[in-house]
Amino acid sequence: MAFTLYALIQTAILCVNAIAVLHEERFLSKIGWGADQGIGGFGDEPGIKSQLMNLIRSVRTVMRVPLIIVNSICIVLLLLFG
Amino acid sequence: MDYSSTPTGFRQRKLQPKVRMRSPGSGTSDPNQLFDDTSSGSAGFRSQEASGLGYPAQALLSEPMSNFAMAYGSSLASQGKEMVDKNLDRFIPISKLKYYFAVDTVYVGKKLGLLVFPYMHQNWEVSYQQDTPVAPRFDINAPDLYIPAMAFITYILVAGLALGTQDRFSPEILGMQASSALVWLIIEVLATLLSLYLVTVNTDLTTIDLIAFSGYKYVGMIVGVLAGLLFGKTGYYLILLWCCMAIFVFMIRTLRLKILSEAAAEGVLVRGAKNQLRMYLTMAIAAAQPVFMYWLTFHLIR
Repeated sequence: MAFTLYALIQTAILCVNAIAVLHEERFLSKIGWGADQGIGGFGDEPGIKSQLMNLIRSVRTVMRVPLIIVNSICIVLLLLFG
Repeated sequence: MDYSSTPTGFRQRKLQPKVRMRSPGSGTSDPNQLFDDTSSGSAGFRSQEASGLGYPAQALLSEPMSNFAMAYGSSLASQGKEMVDKNLDRFIPISKLKYYFAVDTVYVGKKLGLLVFPYMHQNWEVSYQQDTPVAPRFDINAPDLYIPAMAFITYILVAGLALGTQDRFSPEILGMQASSALVWLIIEVLATLLSLYLVTVNTDLTTIDLIAFSGYKYVGMIVGVLAGLLFGKTGYYLILLWCCMAIFVFMIRTLRLKILSEAAAEGVLVRGAKNQLRMYLTMAIAAAQPVFMYWLTFHLIR
Protein backbone atom coordinates (compact mmCIF):
# COMPACT_ATOMS: atom_id res chain seq x y z
CA MET A 1 0.00 0.00 0.00
CA ALA A 2 1.65 3.17 -1.11
CA PHE A 3 1.32 5.75 1.60
CA THR A 4 2.70 9.20 1.35
CA LEU A 5 3.34 11.66 4.13
CA TYR A 6 0.58 13.80 2.68
CA ALA A 7 -1.88 10.96 3.17
CA LEU A 8 -0.78 10.70 6.77
CA ILE A 9 -1.39 14.40 7.35
CA GLN A 10 -4.80 14.11 5.74
CA THR A 11 -5.68 11.13 7.92
CA ALA A 12 -4.54 12.95 11.04
CA ILE A 13 -6.60 16.04 10.23
CA LEU A 14 -9.68 13.95 9.47
CA CYS A 15 -9.36 11.96 12.69
CA VAL A 16 -8.90 15.02 14.86
CA ASN A 17 -11.85 16.68 13.16
CA ALA A 18 -13.94 13.60 13.86
CA ILE A 19 -13.08 13.74 17.56
CA ALA A 20 -13.71 17.46 17.70
CA VAL A 21 -17.27 17.28 16.35
CA LEU A 22 -18.50 14.93 19.07
CA HIS A 23 -20.93 17.09 20.96
CA GLU A 24 -20.81 17.00 24.73
CA GLU A 25 -24.49 17.25 25.62
CA ARG A 26 -26.22 15.85 22.63
CA PHE A 27 -24.19 12.79 22.07
CA LEU A 28 -21.58 11.88 24.62
CA SER A 29 -23.84 12.17 27.64
CA LYS A 30 -26.47 10.06 25.93
CA ILE A 31 -24.12 7.13 25.57
CA GLY A 32 -22.61 7.61 28.98
CA TRP A 33 -19.32 9.05 27.81
CA GLY A 34 -19.84 12.56 29.11
CA ALA A 35 -17.10 14.43 30.90
CA ASP A 36 -18.99 14.63 34.16
CA GLN A 37 -19.68 10.92 34.25
CA GLY A 38 -16.12 9.85 34.16
CA ILE A 39 -14.85 10.76 37.57
CA GLY A 40 -14.82 7.46 39.34
CA GLY A 41 -12.97 6.47 42.46
CA PHE A 42 -9.80 8.39 43.04
CA GLY A 43 -8.17 5.59 44.97
CA ASP A 44 -8.13 3.26 42.00
CA GLU A 45 -6.24 4.11 38.96
CA PRO A 46 -8.55 5.09 36.10
CA GLY A 47 -9.77 2.41 33.76
CA ILE A 48 -9.61 2.49 30.02
CA LYS A 49 -13.03 4.05 29.61
CA SER A 50 -12.31 7.04 31.79
CA GLN A 51 -8.93 7.50 30.11
CA LEU A 52 -10.67 7.54 26.73
CA MET A 53 -13.23 10.04 27.93
CA ASN A 54 -10.48 12.23 29.32
CA LEU A 55 -8.63 11.99 26.05
CA ILE A 56 -11.67 12.95 24.00
CA ARG A 57 -12.43 15.89 26.24
CA SER A 58 -8.87 17.16 26.22
CA VAL A 59 -8.55 16.80 22.45
CA ARG A 60 -11.73 18.78 22.02
CA THR A 61 -10.55 21.50 24.35
CA VAL A 62 -7.00 21.82 23.10
CA MET A 63 -7.44 21.36 19.37
CA ARG A 64 -10.45 23.58 18.84
CA VAL A 65 -8.58 26.73 17.83
CA PRO A 66 -5.72 25.10 15.91
CA LEU A 67 -8.27 23.04 14.01
CA ILE A 68 -10.03 26.19 12.87
CA ILE A 69 -6.76 27.47 11.46
CA VAL A 70 -5.72 24.17 9.88
CA ASN A 71 -9.13 23.59 8.34
CA SER A 72 -9.17 27.06 6.84
CA ILE A 73 -5.75 26.49 5.32
CA CYS A 74 -6.93 23.14 3.91
CA ILE A 75 -10.01 24.70 2.38
CA VAL A 76 -8.04 27.47 0.76
CA LEU A 77 -5.41 25.06 -0.58
CA LEU A 78 -8.01 22.68 -1.95
CA LEU A 79 -9.83 25.53 -3.63
CA LEU A 80 -6.66 26.77 -5.23
CA PHE A 81 -5.04 23.51 -6.21
CA GLY A 82 -7.86 21.02 -6.43
CA MET B 1 55.44 25.28 13.26
CA ASP B 2 53.65 25.54 16.55
CA TYR B 3 49.96 24.89 16.10
CA SER B 4 49.06 25.57 19.68
CA SER B 5 49.88 29.20 19.26
CA THR B 6 47.71 29.52 16.18
CA PRO B 7 44.42 30.21 18.00
CA THR B 8 45.95 32.92 20.07
CA GLY B 9 47.68 34.25 17.01
CA PHE B 10 44.38 34.38 15.20
CA ARG B 11 42.73 36.09 18.10
CA GLN B 12 45.46 38.65 18.15
CA ARG B 13 45.04 39.20 14.46
CA LYS B 14 41.37 39.96 15.05
CA LEU B 15 42.44 42.70 17.42
CA GLN B 16 45.10 43.80 15.00
CA PRO B 17 42.77 45.59 12.55
CA LYS B 18 41.63 47.97 15.25
CA VAL B 19 45.20 48.86 15.96
CA ARG B 20 46.25 49.00 12.35
CA MET B 21 43.28 50.99 11.11
CA ARG B 22 44.24 53.75 13.40
CA SER B 23 47.83 53.94 12.37
CA PRO B 24 47.28 55.50 8.92
CA GLY B 25 45.17 58.15 10.63
CA SER B 26 47.85 58.93 13.10
CA GLY B 27 50.00 60.04 10.22
CA THR B 28 52.13 57.87 7.97
CA SER B 29 55.47 59.08 7.07
CA ASP B 30 54.82 58.78 3.33
CA PRO B 31 51.57 60.47 2.10
CA ASN B 32 51.64 58.40 -1.10
CA GLN B 33 51.44 55.15 0.81
CA LEU B 34 47.85 54.04 1.27
CA PHE B 35 48.52 50.89 3.29
CA ASP B 36 51.03 50.03 5.91
CA ASP B 37 54.25 48.72 4.57
CA THR B 38 54.21 45.13 5.69
CA SER B 39 56.92 43.91 3.38
CA SER B 40 59.72 44.19 5.90
CA GLY B 41 60.62 45.10 9.45
CA SER B 42 57.29 45.04 11.28
CA ALA B 43 56.20 42.28 8.96
CA GLY B 44 58.34 39.90 10.95
CA PHE B 45 55.79 39.90 13.79
CA ARG B 46 52.84 39.47 11.42
CA SER B 47 54.34 36.77 9.29
CA GLN B 48 55.01 34.76 12.42
CA GLU B 49 51.29 34.58 13.12
CA ALA B 50 50.28 34.12 9.53
CA SER B 51 52.62 31.21 9.08
CA GLY B 52 50.35 29.21 11.33
CA LEU B 53 47.64 29.38 8.66
CA GLY B 54 49.79 28.57 5.68
CA TYR B 55 51.57 30.59 3.08
CA PRO B 56 48.86 31.05 0.45
CA ALA B 57 46.60 32.69 2.99
CA GLN B 58 49.28 35.05 4.15
CA ALA B 59 49.07 37.48 1.27
CA LEU B 60 45.27 37.70 1.43
CA LEU B 61 45.03 37.85 5.18
CA SER B 62 47.59 40.55 5.64
CA GLU B 63 45.31 43.05 3.89
CA PRO B 64 43.54 45.10 6.57
CA MET B 65 40.16 45.22 4.87
CA SER B 66 39.91 41.51 4.26
CA ASN B 67 41.02 40.99 7.84
CA PHE B 68 38.20 43.12 9.04
CA ALA B 69 35.73 41.38 6.77
CA MET B 70 36.86 38.00 7.99
CA ALA B 71 36.54 39.00 11.61
CA TYR B 72 33.09 40.40 11.03
CA GLY B 73 32.01 37.38 9.04
CA SER B 74 33.22 34.92 11.63
CA SER B 75 31.49 36.79 14.45
CA LEU B 76 28.26 36.83 12.40
CA ALA B 77 28.60 33.12 11.75
CA SER B 78 29.11 32.27 15.40
CA GLN B 79 26.13 34.42 16.36
CA GLY B 80 23.96 32.72 13.78
CA LYS B 81 25.11 29.31 14.89
CA GLU B 82 24.27 30.13 18.50
CA MET B 83 20.79 31.28 17.53
CA VAL B 84 20.09 28.20 15.43
CA ASP B 85 21.33 25.90 18.19
CA LYS B 86 19.20 27.59 20.80
CA ASN B 87 16.03 27.46 18.71
CA LEU B 88 16.59 23.95 17.45
CA ASP B 89 17.08 22.66 20.94
CA ARG B 90 13.59 23.78 21.77
CA PHE B 91 11.97 21.46 19.23
CA ILE B 92 14.31 18.52 18.94
CA PRO B 93 16.17 17.65 22.13
CA ILE B 94 19.61 17.37 20.62
CA SER B 95 21.35 16.38 23.83
CA LYS B 96 18.95 13.50 24.38
CA LEU B 97 19.46 12.36 20.81
CA LYS B 98 23.20 12.26 21.33
CA TYR B 99 22.73 9.58 23.96
CA TYR B 100 21.10 7.30 21.43
CA PHE B 101 23.95 7.59 18.99
CA ALA B 102 26.72 6.86 21.46
CA VAL B 103 27.52 3.45 20.05
CA ASP B 104 30.59 1.62 18.98
CA THR B 105 31.34 -1.29 16.73
CA VAL B 106 31.25 -3.94 19.44
CA TYR B 107 27.81 -2.82 20.57
CA VAL B 108 26.45 -2.78 17.04
CA GLY B 109 27.79 -6.24 16.33
CA LYS B 110 26.42 -7.71 19.53
CA LYS B 111 23.06 -6.03 19.10
CA LEU B 112 22.66 -7.27 15.55
CA GLY B 113 23.43 -10.76 16.76
CA LEU B 114 20.88 -10.31 19.53
CA LEU B 115 18.21 -9.19 17.08
CA VAL B 116 18.61 -12.31 15.02
CA PHE B 117 19.24 -14.77 17.86
CA PRO B 118 17.89 -13.57 21.20
CA TYR B 119 17.42 -16.98 22.75
CA MET B 120 20.68 -17.31 24.64
CA HIS B 121 20.76 -13.90 26.27
CA GLN B 122 20.03 -14.04 29.97
CA ASN B 123 20.06 -10.59 31.45
CA TRP B 124 17.80 -8.10 29.70
CA GLU B 125 17.88 -5.30 32.22
CA VAL B 126 19.19 -1.88 31.36
CA SER B 127 21.86 -0.87 33.83
CA TYR B 128 21.62 2.56 35.36
CA GLN B 129 24.27 4.89 36.63
CA GLN B 130 22.96 7.25 39.29
CA ASP B 131 19.47 7.50 37.88
CA THR B 132 20.45 7.97 34.25
CA PRO B 133 20.60 5.02 31.91
CA VAL B 134 24.04 4.05 30.79
CA ALA B 135 25.02 4.91 27.23
CA PRO B 136 24.50 2.14 24.68
CA ARG B 137 28.22 1.80 24.31
CA PHE B 138 28.44 0.22 27.74
CA ASP B 139 25.21 -1.72 27.95
CA ILE B 140 23.91 -3.99 25.26
CA ASN B 141 20.33 -3.79 26.50
CA ALA B 142 20.05 -0.05 26.04
CA PRO B 143 18.10 1.09 22.97
CA ASP B 144 19.91 3.13 20.37
CA LEU B 145 18.92 5.00 17.24
CA TYR B 146 21.94 4.17 15.14
CA ILE B 147 20.85 0.68 14.14
CA PRO B 148 17.25 1.68 13.30
CA ALA B 149 18.37 4.66 11.23
CA MET B 150 20.94 2.68 9.29
CA ALA B 151 18.58 -0.25 8.91
CA PHE B 152 15.85 2.00 7.54
CA ILE B 153 18.14 3.46 4.89
CA THR B 154 19.51 0.03 4.04
CA TYR B 155 15.98 -1.31 3.74
CA ILE B 156 15.14 1.35 1.15
CA LEU B 157 18.27 0.55 -0.81
CA VAL B 158 17.62 -3.18 -0.66
CA ALA B 159 14.03 -2.57 -1.76
CA GLY B 160 15.34 -0.65 -4.73
CA LEU B 161 17.71 -3.51 -5.48
CA ALA B 162 14.93 -6.09 -5.26
CA LEU B 163 12.66 -4.06 -7.51
CA GLY B 164 15.50 -3.57 -9.92
CA THR B 165 16.02 -7.30 -10.34
CA GLN B 166 12.38 -7.56 -11.37
CA ASP B 167 12.58 -4.67 -13.84
CA ARG B 168 10.14 -2.68 -11.77
CA PHE B 169 12.55 0.01 -10.69
CA SER B 170 12.29 3.74 -11.20
CA PRO B 171 13.72 6.52 -9.03
CA GLU B 172 10.29 7.58 -7.82
CA ILE B 173 9.72 4.15 -6.34
CA LEU B 174 12.57 4.71 -3.89
CA GLY B 175 10.86 7.82 -2.60
CA MET B 176 7.52 6.00 -2.38
CA GLN B 177 9.05 3.10 -0.46
CA ALA B 178 10.75 5.49 1.91
CA SER B 179 7.67 7.54 2.67
CA SER B 180 5.52 4.44 2.92
CA ALA B 181 7.80 2.79 5.47
CA LEU B 182 8.14 6.05 7.36
CA VAL B 183 4.37 6.48 7.51
CA TRP B 184 3.88 2.96 8.85
CA LEU B 185 6.56 3.62 11.45
CA ILE B 186 4.84 6.81 12.57
CA ILE B 187 1.46 5.05 12.71
CA GLU B 188 2.93 2.23 14.76
CA VAL B 189 4.63 4.58 17.22
CA LEU B 190 1.45 6.65 17.61
CA ALA B 191 -0.66 3.54 18.17
CA THR B 192 1.80 2.30 20.78
CA LEU B 193 1.81 5.67 22.52
CA LEU B 194 -1.99 5.75 22.52
CA SER B 195 -2.30 2.27 23.96
CA LEU B 196 0.35 3.00 26.59
CA TYR B 197 -1.63 6.08 27.61
CA LEU B 198 -4.91 4.20 27.79
CA VAL B 199 -3.52 1.46 29.97
CA THR B 200 -1.94 4.07 32.30
CA VAL B 201 1.39 2.43 32.51
CA ASN B 202 3.99 4.11 34.68
CA THR B 203 6.98 3.55 32.53
CA ASP B 204 10.07 5.43 31.57
CA LEU B 205 9.73 4.54 27.92
CA THR B 206 10.17 7.74 25.96
CA THR B 207 8.94 8.36 22.44
CA ILE B 208 12.47 7.99 21.12
CA ASP B 209 12.73 4.60 22.85
CA LEU B 210 9.60 3.50 21.03
CA ILE B 211 10.97 4.71 17.72
CA ALA B 212 14.14 2.74 18.42
CA PHE B 213 12.23 -0.45 19.26
CA SER B 214 10.02 -0.10 16.22
CA GLY B 215 13.05 0.42 14.05
CA TYR B 216 14.73 -2.80 15.08
CA LYS B 217 12.49 -4.86 12.82
CA TYR B 218 14.09 -3.39 9.72
CA VAL B 219 17.13 -5.56 10.38
CA GLY B 220 15.02 -8.70 10.05
CA MET B 221 13.33 -7.31 6.97
CA ILE B 222 16.65 -6.65 5.26
CA VAL B 223 17.92 -10.16 6.01
CA GLY B 224 14.66 -11.63 4.71
CA VAL B 225 14.66 -9.67 1.48
CA LEU B 226 18.32 -10.47 0.82
CA ALA B 227 17.63 -14.15 1.42
CA GLY B 228 14.70 -13.89 -0.97
CA LEU B 229 16.94 -12.38 -3.60
CA LEU B 230 19.53 -15.08 -3.20
CA PHE B 231 17.43 -18.17 -2.61
CA GLY B 232 14.00 -17.39 -4.06
CA LYS B 233 10.65 -17.51 -2.37
CA THR B 234 11.30 -20.46 -0.07
CA GLY B 235 14.45 -18.84 1.28
CA TYR B 236 12.55 -15.61 1.83
CA TYR B 237 9.75 -17.28 3.78
CA LEU B 238 12.08 -19.39 5.90
CA ILE B 239 14.40 -16.55 6.86
CA LEU B 240 11.48 -14.18 7.41
CA LEU B 241 9.84 -16.70 9.71
CA TRP B 242 13.06 -17.03 11.68
CA CYS B 243 13.48 -13.26 11.95
CA CYS B 244 9.84 -12.80 12.92
CA MET B 245 10.18 -15.27 15.78
CA ALA B 246 13.42 -13.64 16.84
CA ILE B 247 12.02 -10.11 16.90
CA PHE B 248 8.89 -11.37 18.69
CA VAL B 249 10.96 -12.88 21.49
CA PHE B 250 13.25 -9.87 21.58
CA MET B 251 10.41 -7.40 21.93
CA ILE B 252 8.61 -9.42 24.57
CA ARG B 253 11.71 -9.84 26.69
CA THR B 254 12.66 -6.19 26.38
CA LEU B 255 9.23 -4.68 26.89
CA ARG B 256 8.31 -7.01 29.72
CA LEU B 257 10.83 -5.32 31.96
CA LYS B 258 9.65 -1.86 31.07
CA ILE B 259 5.90 -2.20 31.02
CA LEU B 260 5.05 -4.83 33.57
CA SER B 261 5.43 -4.30 37.26
CA GLU B 262 8.52 -5.52 39.04
CA ALA B 263 7.03 -8.71 40.40
CA ALA B 264 5.53 -9.84 37.14
CA ALA B 265 8.67 -9.11 35.22
CA GLU B 266 10.59 -11.62 37.24
CA GLY B 267 8.37 -14.41 36.03
CA VAL B 268 6.15 -14.70 39.09
CA LEU B 269 2.57 -15.03 37.94
CA VAL B 270 0.81 -12.03 39.40
CA ARG B 271 -2.94 -12.20 39.14
CA GLY B 272 -4.92 -9.07 38.59
CA ALA B 273 -6.61 -7.29 35.78
CA LYS B 274 -3.96 -4.62 35.61
CA ASN B 275 -1.07 -6.94 34.97
CA GLN B 276 -3.07 -9.05 32.59
CA LEU B 277 -3.90 -5.97 30.54
CA ARG B 278 -0.26 -4.98 30.47
CA MET B 279 0.77 -8.44 29.36
CA TYR B 280 -1.78 -8.30 26.56
CA LEU B 281 -0.39 -4.93 25.56
CA THR B 282 3.16 -6.26 25.44
CA MET B 283 2.07 -9.24 23.38
CA ALA B 284 0.14 -6.99 21.01
CA ILE B 285 3.11 -4.70 20.44
CA ALA B 286 5.39 -7.66 19.89
CA ALA B 287 2.89 -9.37 17.57
CA ALA B 288 2.55 -6.24 15.45
CA GLN B 289 6.21 -6.47 14.49
CA PRO B 290 6.04 -9.66 12.37
CA VAL B 291 2.86 -8.36 10.74
CA PHE B 292 4.63 -5.20 9.67
CA MET B 293 7.69 -7.14 8.61
CA TYR B 294 5.63 -9.24 6.26
CA TRP B 295 3.49 -6.35 5.07
CA LEU B 296 6.43 -4.19 4.10
CA THR B 297 8.43 -6.84 2.28
CA PHE B 298 6.13 -9.32 0.57
CA HIS B 299 5.62 -7.14 -2.47
CA LEU B 300 9.36 -7.06 -3.05
CA ILE B 301 9.72 -10.76 -3.65
CA ARG B 302 7.87 -12.20 -6.59
